Amino acid sequence: MKLQYQAQRDVKVKEISEITRLSEELEDYIVVQDGQIVKKQLGHAFDDLVVKTYDQALKEHADLFTKLAQEKHPSSDAYIYNFEECNSGLMLYLNKGKRITKPVHIFYVSTKEEFTHNTTIYLSDESQLNYFEHLYSEGIGSYNYVSNAYVGENANLTYGALSNLSKDVASYVYRNAWVMRYGVSNYRLADIGDAIQLMHQTTNLNGEYASATSKTIAITSGPQEARYETLVEHNAKDTEGFIEHYGVANNESALIFEGIGQINKGMKRSVARQSNYGIVLGEKARLDANPLLLIDEFDVEASHGAAIGKIDEEELYYLMSRGLTENAAQRLIINGFLSPVMNLLETDVLKNMFLKRVEEKTL
Amino acid sequence: MATLKITNLHAEVEGIEILKGVDLEIKGGQTHAIMGPNGTGKSTLASVVMGHPKYTVTKGQITLDGQNVLEMSVDERSRAGLFLGMQSPSEVPGVTNSDFIKTAMNARLDEGKSISLFKFIRAYDKAVEDLKMNEDLPHRYLNQGFSGGEKKRNEILQMKMLKPSIAILDEIDSGLDVDALKIVGENVTAMKNEELGLLLITHYQRLLEYISADFVHVMMKGKIVKSGDISLMEKIDQEGYDWIKEELGIEDERVVVKEEEEKVMLGTCATKEALDL
Repeated sequence: MKLQYQAQRDVKVKEISEITRLSEELEDYIVVQDGQIVKKQLGHAFDDLVVKTYDQALKEHADLFTKLAQEKHPSSDAYIYNFEECNSGLMLYLNKGKRITKPVHIFYVSTKEEFTHNTTIYLSDESQLNYFEHLYSEGIGSYNYVSNAYVGENANLTYGALSNLSKDVASYVYRNAWVMRYGVSNYRLADIGDAIQLMHQTTNLNGEYASATSKTIAITSGPQEARYETLVEHNAKDTEGFIEHYGVANNESALIFEGIGQINKGMKRSVARQSNYGIVLGEKARLDANPLLLIDEFDVEASHGAAIGKIDEEELYYLMSRGLTENAAQRLIINGFLSPVMNLLETDVLKNMFLKRVEEKTL
Repeated sequence: MATLKITNLHAEVEGIEILKGVDLEIKGGQTHAIMGPNGTGKSTLASVVMGHPKYTVTKGQITLDGQNVLEMSVDERSRAGLFLGMQSPSEVPGVTNSDFIKTAMNARLDEGKSISLFKFIRAYDKAVEDLKMNEDLPHRYLNQGFSGGEKKRNEILQMKMLKPSIAILDEIDSGLDVDALKIVGENVTAMKNEELGLLLITHYQRLLEYISADFVHVMMKGKIVKSGDISLMEKIDQEGYDWIKEELGIEDERVVVKEEEEKVMLGTCATKEALDL
């Protein structure tokens, strides 16, 4: 799939106070606003990390893009649109053997009506990156975001994401990973925004002993409609894929989880597991979980399950029996639900923002 | 000094009466033990006092220092000084033990105030050590993946931190091995004082070897049918319950309780297809 990039020219960059506030206590972060890197603060731990916008990257690293283009990509319209119309792009590249354990935070900010962004993360063999992205939009319009991650042999990618888009935004988010032999990818994605949302995460386990975890956490409220799809495709033997979905549906919102573990023919001794947990808070809310296993091989381990219901009465009683008010107990249970992503937020500013949004959406 | 007074308490679950007139008074400094065979309403009594939503009180009164407990919500009862160490405590994923207890302790203070983190950590670490639990306990999720014994010890730990005035321990001895029982016994005994009223619910005598009781009650058919001192326990230990049944002319000591079905909504492909959803 060939990328066509149209750089935005003559962009007047205004400072977004919310981003300044959120990044306050962060040590290492980058702000990408309407296709430009407007702020970059990286300590020495990141000396080996190559960071470039597509203005440069497409020319200087054309081979990487050609290589990724040959891999399997989703075929949906929104995804193809991103490749044809992308107007913002960022590449992160690590050379062989370079390991960075400190997290880097990237803010993707749109102030325009149309934001079509493409990120490429390329981890050479035996490298490691701890990446956390924040999706943020000022205006109204569409937010089309694609990230493609190549995880080389024995490389390790931790990928966190916090999406907080406003209700006037329609958003399509695709995150793909191709994981090679002994490679590990670990996606933890949270959506606490109000946008009409389609989020998709595909991991292709392309090398033996590759393993992937993909956790998605979402809270829908008001009239919001959101759909979260996770696919782990096993294209090699002895691969492991874990999908977890956690959702809270409030008010009259509709939340759909679609998880697919796909083990192709011949991919022996692979493991595909999936679980879905959902709390339906609103009387008129709807939460669907469709856990699927597509398996074309006998010698595998696979499981899937879903538990959707109201907040557990016994848990509520237990917490209240220690003096927590019903409200506080409910809050604790829901926050507990969200802990996989919550634990990735290092600063108090980010934690408080997250908790405040969760509170607003679950009232 | 706190007084918990239960008068002619009747309670039912889904239309079936389980408690049929319980009378009991527990004062600060006293330790009561309720014994009795399975299915006689002992645990129901504990749950009703704490306010479990499953049970409906149809008659009678519960007061704590003259305050009407039945009018209080579960959390108000706790903040008023009641504590129930549960038979099977819930597992709450994502909520750490220390966060939970900290929130519970803060709930006892005026709004806006919170306990000093330093004091809290010191008290918590001490309690963890006293109960010989793993050091990583504060960071583990509430009861998740705990063994039966760990869960019970965690209940006692919470009691230590919350310092209730009336504590009910519902079969705190079940699922404990001898060593763990000893640890729990020592810790509960160490907490005894003039202020604390204790109610132990058990159907084994061995718990009372570690925690001495001042009063022993026997429950049958949803009522306290016999009360006495520790000698009553000794007699039961040797002769069982049959003599009490004979004395009172009871044939079947149980109250009818249908096992309630677990209500879990499951949505898997298989069931969905089967149901044609």
